[in-house]
Amino acid sequence: MAREKRKYTPKREDGTQPIGLPGIRRLQFFTNLRDRALTKNLNRLAMLGIGASLALDVAKPVATGVPQTIFCYECRACYATQDKCPAAIAYQAELIVAARVGDHWRFIKNGGMKCLRCGGCVSFCVVNLDLPRIFSRGQQRVMEAMEQGRIPRRRIRRALEEGLFGREFIDRVVAWLDKQNGGRA
Amino acid sequence: MILGYVTLTIFLAAMVLTLLRKINLPVQTVLVLVTLVCLAIGAIVKGFTEGAAAILTLPNEMMGGIILHPVTALLAGLFLAGALNASGGFEAFKVLIAKLQKSPLGLAGTFVVLINFPMITSLPCGRIMAAALLPLLFAFGSEGGMNLLTKSQLIVLIGAFARNAFGSCGPSPIGGVGQIGEGFLGSHFPTAADGILRAPQAFSLMIGTALTALFLKMISRRLYPDSCSLRDKREGEVDAIVVPQAPLAGYASLVIFVAALIVAIFQPFGKVPVQTVLVIAAIAIILIGRAGIEALMAGIILLPVSAMVAGFMAAGALAATNGFDALGQVLGLLAKVPVLGVAGMLAIFVQIQTMIPLSCSRILTAALVPVLFLFGPAAYGFLTWEQLAVVMAAYIINATTSCGPSPLGGGGMMGEGQMRVESGYIKGAYTFTVMAAMTPLAAVYMKFLNLVNFAAPGEALTANIGALGGFVVLIVAINLLAIRLMARLAAPGDKPYFTQVGGFLATGMFAGMVLALSTFGLHVIPALQGAFGGLLAALWIAFMVPKKLEPEPAPF
Repeated sequence: MAREKRKYTPKREDGTQPIGLPGIRRLQFFTNLRDRALTKNLNRLAMLGIGASLALDVAKPVATGVPQTIFCYECRACYATQDKCPAAIAYQAELIVAARVGDHWRFIKNGGMKCLRCGGCVSFCVVNLDLPRIFSRGQQRVMEAMEQGRIPRRRIRRALEEGLFGREFIDRVVAWLDKQNGGRA
Repeated sequence: MILGYVTLTIFLAAMVLTLLRKINLPVQTVLVLVTLVCLAIGAIVKGFTEGAAAILTLPNEMMGGIILHPVTALLAGLFLAGALNASGGFEAFKVLIAKLQKSPLGLAGTFVVLINFPMITSLPCGRIMAAALLPLLFAFGSEGGMNLLTKSQLIVLIGAFARNAFGSCGPSPIGGVGQIGEGFLGSHFPTAADGILRAPQAFSLMIGTALTALFLKMISRRLYPDSCSLRDKREGEVDAIVVPQAPLAGYASLVIFVAALIVAIFQPFGKVPVQTVLVIAAIAIILIGRAGIEALMAGIILLPVSAMVAGFMAAGALAATNGFDALGQVLGLLAKVPVLGVAGMLAIFVQIQTMIPLSCSRILTAALVPVLFLFGPAAYGFLTWEQLAVVMAAYIINATTSCGPSPLGGGGMMGEGQMRVESGYIKGAYTFTVMAAMTPLAAVYMKFLNLVNFAAPGEALTANIGALGGFVVLIVAINLLAIRLMARLAAPGDKPYFTQVGGFLATGMFAGMVLALSTFGLHVIPALQGAFGGLLAALWIAFMVPKKLEPEPAPF
């Protein structure tokens, strides 16, 4: 006798469970896993992740004192500064993005710690951002992050060797590296 | 660097499988999963090589990939579109159109202006104008009530308008995609930020829009005859042309809308972010039109916003794990393959975003423009500054138009929705015209006209205009010929499909050759290499055009 093919009806919603996150019931990951692992829940979680990332990307610069960076077009018009930058920084927009998200290595790598905050690049910005202020705050945050051990020591040493720290920071960086090495130079 | 190759492979594989519908999940989910996988692999590798602190830096490096400007500008624009809709602004626009078609401009002239309206306004995202005007265009058909156009004309009108809209972010001076390229070129051309890429893009977009209309009319309708559910006027149906009417608040809101665009683009009150202008205009319209908050929120389309953010996250994760450095190396190696050379590699590179069309061009542009920049004197030295400007013009127009044919929530899907066709209908028309016409047109315009203006003003201008004219006529003629030949054989089925592929290959080769000639001058070897690169790019692009259209499968 031919086996009758049973139609499988996925059970994706279980209204008896309490809601944990918007659109997601608390225990459903542990029940009916077959129906839920790669389906609606995944999409909902992805959407939550996207929303959270966007919210964080806006909230973080506000909380860290660089709210102006939100308005950056990332059009790179500031690259036209060229030799008007006394610190020979080539990619100013990279510093703005790095300051916005707190990507300290990106800030150092692109010469942010050499910036003299002279404002020579401001006139090139199409939205008139206060670039010296943003870069100054970025420098402060890099130093704080370094002293809290949030930047790999190897990268700090490399940046120092490559001359990526300005004169005003060198003593502090060397002292910190000494301290990390137990007082050895 | 092995880490970069691994994450790049994961990203490309996930995108291609999603484009081919082998991964049946929404693009946002795929991109978030790619982000997580890349970050997890990056965390393991960096944890071993650089310690725990390096793992903690990864999320911030990923966040750096998110470009806030297009997201916020898009939201502000959609908010304004919602306000305009709620206050009767579009009704007022309909009245204006109805009056314009009775002017010496006529119906055809009015539609030509309307189709090019997104480029005229040049907002930072084409979706802003598309969300506002696509429902209006639909109203011109018999189902929309105005009864001015047949089904076939409506498809051409909407398709051409969407083509124009989803390329208009390129020449936008208020945070458009083209400004990324202009910024990099500013490292050499002091006035590049004034718009070195704007004219080549606008020029090629305008001609490309016309060719798209032709392709839709002559080929797409024959290839997919049953996929459009729009209807023509029924036999015996009384020809009752509806004369639109609009409230006074609608006219006032339209005036505010136009004023906001003028302020945003020409900045008479100084440098103000476009978002601020758009939101102030929306609030003014709300007050005048007494619109409810629900009507305003209805204007906001979440898919492009979420797809854009997810794409930026994936690009950020790729950048954090050296994926784009790996891509740069791969392209550098391609340039060393004798049959390709630098010219062939560049012919592929400029088409890369049409080959992998994502929901927003910025996802890849923000990452690939620096790679292209490195091909110039700044690093690899493959190109001089002038040659870099030519390739940049070709690349940017190809990139900015890539959201049009994207089936992953790209802008063109908005047009397909309004046309009542299955997803993929416009893909052939959009990819063909970008590949075969718009990309080489932008390159020759930059080479013969714009570069002269920006690099050496006044130098040999007349001779260059002659050369530009010659190239433009040649490119358009080849495209027209190809469309004509393909249209003769266009019909559903395998044979016509392969004829179409043949048309793509021939014009792709030609486009690659024109790019090489514009970049390297009259030299045989680079021209042949460019043609071969163009052929390879066209091969991929042609086979991505669907043979037949089927309804979208349910994602879960």
